[in-house]
Amino acid sequence: MEEKTVMIRNLVKKFGSFTAVDNISFEVSRGEIFGFLGANGAGKTTAMRILCGLSKPTSGEGTVAGFSINSEQEQIKRHIGYMSQKFSLYPDLKVWENFELFGGIYGLNDKEIRIKTDSMLKALSLEDARNMYVRDMPLGWKQKLAFSIAMVHDPEIVFLDEPTGGVDPVTRRNFWETIYDAASKGVTVFVTTHYMDEAEYCDRVSIMVDGRIEALGSPAELKEAYGAADMDGVFTRIAGRGAAGQ
Amino acid sequence: MWKYLVKKEFKQFLRDPGMPGMVLMFPFLIILVFPFATNMEIRNVRLVMVDNDHSDRSHLLMEKCASSGWFEVLDVNAAPESAQALMDRGRTDAILTIDNGFSQYLEDTRGGGGSVPVGIKVNTVNGTRGSIAGQYLNTCVTGFISDNMVSSSAAAMPGFDVSGSYRFNPYLDYKLYMIPGLIVIAITMMCGFLPALNIVSEKEKGTIEQINVTPVKKTAFIACKMVPYVAVAYFMVFTCLLLAYLVFGYSCRGSYFAIIVYTLAHILVMASFGLLVSNFSENTQQAMFVIWFFSMIFMLMSGVFTPIESMPQWAKTITYANPLRYFADAMRAIFLKGCGIRETWPDLACLLGIGSLTMTWAVLSYKKTA
Repeated sequence: MEEKTVMIRNLVKKFGSFTAVDNISFEVSRGEIFGFLGANGAGKTTAMRILCGLSKPTSGEGTVAGFSINSEQEQIKRHIGYMSQKFSLYPDLKVWENFELFGGIYGLNDKEIRIKTDSMLKALSLEDARNMYVRDMPLGWKQKLAFSIAMVHDPEIVFLDEPTGGVDPVTRRNFWETIYDAASKGVTVFVTTHYMDEAEYCDRVSIMVDGRIEALGSPAELKEAYGAADMDGVFTRIAGRGAAGQ
Repeated sequence: MWKYLVKKEFKQFLRDPGMPGMVLMFPFLIILVFPFATNMEIRNVRLVMVDNDHSDRSHLLMEKCASSGWFEVLDVNAAPESAQALMDRGRTDAILTIDNGFSQYLEDTRGGGGSVPVGIKVNTVNGTRGSIAGQYLNTCVTGFISDNMVSSSAAAMPGFDVSGSYRFNPYLDYKLYMIPGLIVIAITMMCGFLPALNIVSEKEKGTIEQINVTPVKKTAFIACKMVPYVAVAYFMVFTCLLLAYLVFGYSCRGSYFAIIVYTLAHILVMASFGLLVSNFSENTQQAMFVIWFFSMIFMLMSGVFTPIESMPQWAKTITYANPLRYFADAMRAIFLKGCGIRETWPDLACLLGIGSLTMTWAVLSYKKTA
């Protein structure tokens, strides 16, 4: 049997009377690139925050990297990487200092941090930027750097919340190569995005509408099921139907 | 893990465009500028004298007043109307009128019969200043009269020579009294407010979320944030004490150990208070406003600037909840009277009491998981 790194059953999150996540269930396998799609306000970020241990579910259960999302948030945090929608490395620290800080937080020692920093900067071809302040870097570099830092402690799963917002197509392409690279090493990638071309790159995709998962499958399966030429068409049908049903 | 977090906080602190400069400037302001500005001694009372007697004696009295050092004499021979006009326009604080018959009064052998032909008029728009100006003038005039009275009965009156002995601050130097209080204010600003703004700014930038998603313990994160501010607080306290010694020659009479302990206790209280504010604030503006609101209360009701003893009972009651009250009280006792922890322990107990309350609340309300 395939190893599941994320298993979610009947997850619900309510804010007062508003239901942000409405009874969703899904599984993600090791090394899979799982696309989490949906219109703005469909509940993607809320669901992702629960999986990262940043928010508690109202009801439902599940495990991430083998730990319960209800009671073992701090253990989950040891085994995941997270890159938020809002770029959030320390702008007043230099590149290597950000590596040092986050490496240190995850319990790496000085030597391990040095090795990691060197190899990751080399992989990003950002060796010359080592002493640059993060605030002075172009957005594309920052995003690549944030991804590397989310990976500094070799997590089992990495959560990417709209990682390529506002980035040019070439840099996005480049960024996805990094994601593939990570997935090929057995890291599970959980990614939300608004770019449908990126959805095509995913192994499997789920589309959320109004807090529910309306569709789940590989891009090819979804295109066939909804009779669309590309993911853009699939998304428009599903999200559009949701909007019409309101 | 701690090492890296502390390192981060120090780097960020030192790279801040304003912070290090502010920390260096503060002790100089506290010791070299503020003690003069917060001086409540009444000096330079503006005085106009009206002489209707025109005698040697009246001239001598005026000279005595002028040379007392309390007054700034504007006019020694004013017409009564112009003197009054000066007071009406707020140009003078006091008018001394020596009436016709002053020298006769002094030579009167019956001694002290009738009223003294001297009039004192004081502008009491500022009550404190006015009443003290009146007292100064009174002291001058009665002193002069008792020295110059030729009457035998006055000489026969038993004279009380009351000489006070001033303890702890023998020269009644207001600056000496204010310096420990001002140090308290400085530490409060530095350690209560800056960490709060620091945390709120991490919230705004979103970096705190990146920390929340790591296994860092919230207490570790907060404790590491405090380290630079504790260092800064001690830097400020000891620079202030050193400057006070070098510039004014004041030295702390009590134990430095007690100062170290009290400073730490106060940082604990103020930092947890600041943290509490940051937990309930979404942005810097909100946090600034809440902090400003409380800082006014903390400062004005601390006894640093005005004596708590002269506040009404309800105001006194409020001061019991103010951590500054205890810190200021202890610092003054240590600095001026040479006390140690043994003599001031109730202050320490209250500080720690308030501190453990705010700290518990702050840690409980800081949530990594919403």
